[in-house]
Amino acid sequence: MSNKSTLKPVKARITDIRKMTEIENLVTIKFQNPEYAENFNYTPGQFVKLGVMGVGEAPISLCTAQSDNSELEFCIRNAGRVTNAIHSQKVGDVIWVRGPYGNGFPMDEFYGKDLLLVAGGLGIAPIRGVLQYATQNREKYGEIIVLYGIRSYDLMLFKDDVLHYFREGDAEGVKLYLSYEDQEDLVLNGLVSERDDRITNGLVTKLFAIMDEPADNTVAILGGPPIMYKFTVMELEKMGFTPEQVYMTLERRMKCGVGQCGQCIVGTGKSIKYVCKDGPVFTLWDAMNTKGMI
Amino acid sequence: MLINILEKENLVEFFEAMQSYGEVVAPVRATDNAHRFQPVKGIDELDLDYTRTMIPPKKYFIQPKETLFTFNKEKEKYLEPPSIDKSMVLLGVHACDINAMNLLARVFMEELPDKYYLERRKNSVIVGVSCTPDEKCFCKSTGTDYAQEGFELFLHDIGDKYLVRVGSLKGHNIVKDHSELFAAPEKGDLDAFKEAEKTRLSSFTIEIEMSGLQDHLDMSYDDPLWAEYAEKCLGCGSCNLVCPRCRCYDVQDYINLDMNTGERVRMWYSCMLKDHGLVAGGHNFRPTSMERLRNRINCKGSLREEMPNCVGCGRCTVFCPADIDFVEILQKVRGDIK
Amino acid sequence: MTKPRLGIFSLTGCAGDQLQILNMEDELLNLVARFHIVDFQEGSSHKESGPIDIAFVEGSVSTETDLRHLKEIRERSSVLIAFGNCATDGCVQAMRNGETTLAQRLKDVYGVEPDYYDALESKPIREYVKVDFSIPGCPVEKDEVVKAITSLLHGDSPLGYSYPVCVECKLHEYPCVIVEDNKPCLGPVVRAGCEARCPGLGLDCIGCRGPVEDGSNFAAELQMLLDKGYTEEFIMNRLRIFSGELPEDFLGGAK
Ligand SMILES: Cc1cc2nc3c(=O)[nH]c(=O)nc-3n(C[C@H](O)[C@H](O)[C@H](O)COP(=O)(O)OP(=O)(O)OC[C@H]3O[C@@H](n4cnc5c(N)ncnc54)[C@H](O)[C@@H]3O)c2cc1C
Ligand code: SF4
Ligand code: SF4
Ligand code: SF4
Ligand code: SF4
Ligand code: FES
Repeated sequence: MSNKSTLKPVKARITDIRKMTEIENLVTIKFQNPEYAENFNYTPGQFVKLGVMGVGEAPISLCTAQSDNSELEFCIRNAGRVTNAIHSQKVGDVIWVRGPYGNGFPMDEFYGKDLLLVAGGLGIAPIRGVLQYATQNREKYGEIIVLYGIRSYDLMLFKDDVLHYFREGDAEGVKLYLSYEDQEDLVLNGLVSERDDRITNGLVTKLFAIMDEPADNTVAILGGPPIMYKFTVMELEKMGFTPEQVYMTLERRMKCGVGQCGQCIVGTGKSIKYVCKDGPVFTLWDAMNTKGMI
Repeated sequence: MLINILEKENLVEFFEAMQSYGEVVAPVRATDNAHRFQPVKGIDELDLDYTRTMIPPKKYFIQPKETLFTFNKEKEKYLEPPSIDKSMVLLGVHACDINAMNLLARVFMEELPDKYYLERRKNSVIVGVSCTPDEKCFCKSTGTDYAQEGFELFLHDIGDKYLVRVGSLKGHNIVKDHSELFAAPEKGDLDAFKEAEKTRLSSFTIEIEMSGLQDHLDMSYDDPLWAEYAEKCLGCGSCNLVCPRCRCYDVQDYINLDMNTGERVRMWYSCMLKDHGLVAGGHNFRPTSMERLRNRINCKGSLREEMPNCVGCGRCTVFCPADIDFVEILQKVRGDIK
Repeated sequence: MTKPRLGIFSLTGCAGDQLQILNMEDELLNLVARFHIVDFQEGSSHKESGPIDIAFVEGSVSTETDLRHLKEIRERSSVLIAFGNCATDGCVQAMRNGETTLAQRLKDVYGVEPDYYDALESKPIREYVKVDFSIPGCPVEKDEVVKAITSLLHGDSPLGYSYPVCVECKLHEYPCVIVEDNKPCLGPVVRAGCEARCPGLGLDCIGCRGPVEDGSNFAAELQMLLDKGYTEEFIMNRLRIFSGELPEDFLGGAK
């Protein structure tokens, strides 16, 4: 039974809350109904609507790879009413879930290919799901390159994962590069002295200059703000990526998540799309044919 | 297709018969410009010879504002309103509105059914009626001036009789249960129907060319015309709220003073309103009224399920307080007028 | 759990909004029970000093005393809410701002020199202090007040109305008085929240809830009404009776 039918949420309970930054928490939840948990199948890039009764719902990316322990993790930024309410919840509290919704990254179409993951800011959330999936199914993918742009160490998300791959990724075939904006940042400046071939000061696009040349069969997977897409796409095009080789996930206002409420509309008469249902993952080719998408 | 004839002199009996299928809602004159669908008790209250209601009949399926569920936080439960078993007869619906509801039915009833829409449609009888276009109607251009499906019965005015098309098994049963009111069509009736259709189709005064319109819209993305219209547009949202094809909605939670119980409410919404493109952190994907207006016209000019997303009812033009003419915009997009 | 400390304050206005709170009868008891009332001029003479969690301020700033009082309230309060149109928009007292100087008006109306009273040009409170949230209306809508307070108690920021009266007018299927009768309705540029009460009675909206800050197009409203034969003076007066001091870019065109 997948409860996709209406706007009816199902009950889950918060099992863990970890502070990631001043404004972001990693929230782990578990469905109350085991049957529902068993049938909750998803791919990275898909999202759920998380809700607190009396406040509302917000679309939040699944940031893990499918596993069978029926727990789900969400990286949630306190950005407004609903997300603030989620941040005020305690372990054991109820949280209401609908989903999974949308189209995730087609991980099985990527079999045999190299992956270039580019993340900026909160966009790391869905990308982390992709990375987890790819490392759990390591033999199915070629080389994995991760470019992650942050402002400062304080704002770095998934610090454990990031630092692990930064230091020891090579052994697992994951090359993780970091860029940071705050020149004064002591921790990140420290990382530069650890491995200056993997970290640089500046925007994430600067990493294209220092990373190893990707192979022809690489797919690029982007998660970040619209402005990052614009500049990243320019770099990727320079390197010869075709529009079908570039995937990205989009953010829009979403009320229903199922293609009904119309609020996530994008495009022209020729190309109207509802980001919740037709996306949130799109290719660069989709974006080129849908004005206003990026 | 099954066809029957209903003499106009049997209309009172027909109306009374329809009352046995549920509360009858029908067009009643509200103002000079508009009728309103509302419950009627007798045939003298309604007016089948009308042009358009301001609010389309979709309001009976997806209501302007409705409670999705009530919740109780302490009990960790929520409760949907009881199933809707009240039946309803929508009498006198025009082809454009039926076609509009056919699209809404795909959105709300098929892939991810909406309980409310589904139950209400299942419990309703839709009786269509033919109409004469006025100077704002352009449903012929959008190909939605004739309803092929989405009704139980459709009454075509052919003089002192109605030719009645049967659109569903439910409709067939209605005819069967009241066979005394209906007769088999004769050759003359069919001829009268054809004549009536000819007259109807020749009465349109405005049109838009739909062929390739979607590409024209795409090419006009950066055209100055959007800004010109935006200058006149009040951003009031009326055009969307009267549109039979618009389905945008907003969802809001309200909690009671006990801090425990409350409700989640759904409300019609409009892309002409500023918050339609707003996300957390204050970023707006359509921050200017130019972008909002462009989005509306593009959405309306797009194809949804192979059908134009506008059924040509003329409401958005008639009820725009700023007199912004939808057809005129599309004609400019096409370059038909400057 | 300790009760949030609530203060309800009046600057220059008719205190009609405080009355509206007193009018809420059953809800009032319920409401009061959830707060520790620090100050409520209209309801009791009890006053306490110390910090305030939620302050409702009604009335506009029209005197130096108002201004001192307001600044002091702001300093004591975590959340400050502009309550009613005087506080939100300045309302009728601010209607003539910018037309003649305050000194001139004092002279014309009271025949006194500028320093006779401690008068200031009437302004909405946002002109002087940070306002966390506004509950507009002349007077405020009970339902909106209850909803705002419940949201605050629940730990959320209250929901405002970012859209115009026309939306509620359409949801109620009220005939549009502009379209039907060419009446000078301000609905398209005025905040919803009244359930389109006036158009529901066949009357044109006179704007008692103040302007929709963002996203409305007053220039177009003005032009539309001019085209219908209304004068600019009539339209501006009507708008400013309740909207008083208009937000800076409100009179501009499409946004
Ligand atoms: C596909 C998708 C995946 C996302 N994944 C994450 C994630 O993993 N972690 C995370 O922290 N954030 C994520 N976001 C952003 C997150 O949904 C918004 O921050 C959140 O909705 C803000 O709601 P709020 O009520 O807290 O904010 P407010 O600003 O108070 O929201 C006000 C209203 O606007 C709507 N709204 C505001 N912003 C958004 C938005 N961006 N998207 C949809 N509706 C919005 C809300 O429904 C709400 O009713 C994602 C957004 C999308 C579309
Ligand atoms: S866009 Fe206008 S004409 Fe077309 S269906 Fe909607 S209201 Fe009718
Ligand atoms: S996006 Fe606009 S035009 Fe399209 S359905 Fe929604 S309100 Fe209507
Ligand atoms: S009804 Fe007219 S004025 Fe109002 S938003 Fe639509 S186009 Fe603009
Ligand atoms: S009557 Fe006034 S408020 Fe109502 S739709 Fe018309 S302009 Fe808007
Ligand atoms: S979120 Fe409702 S249509 Fe996309």
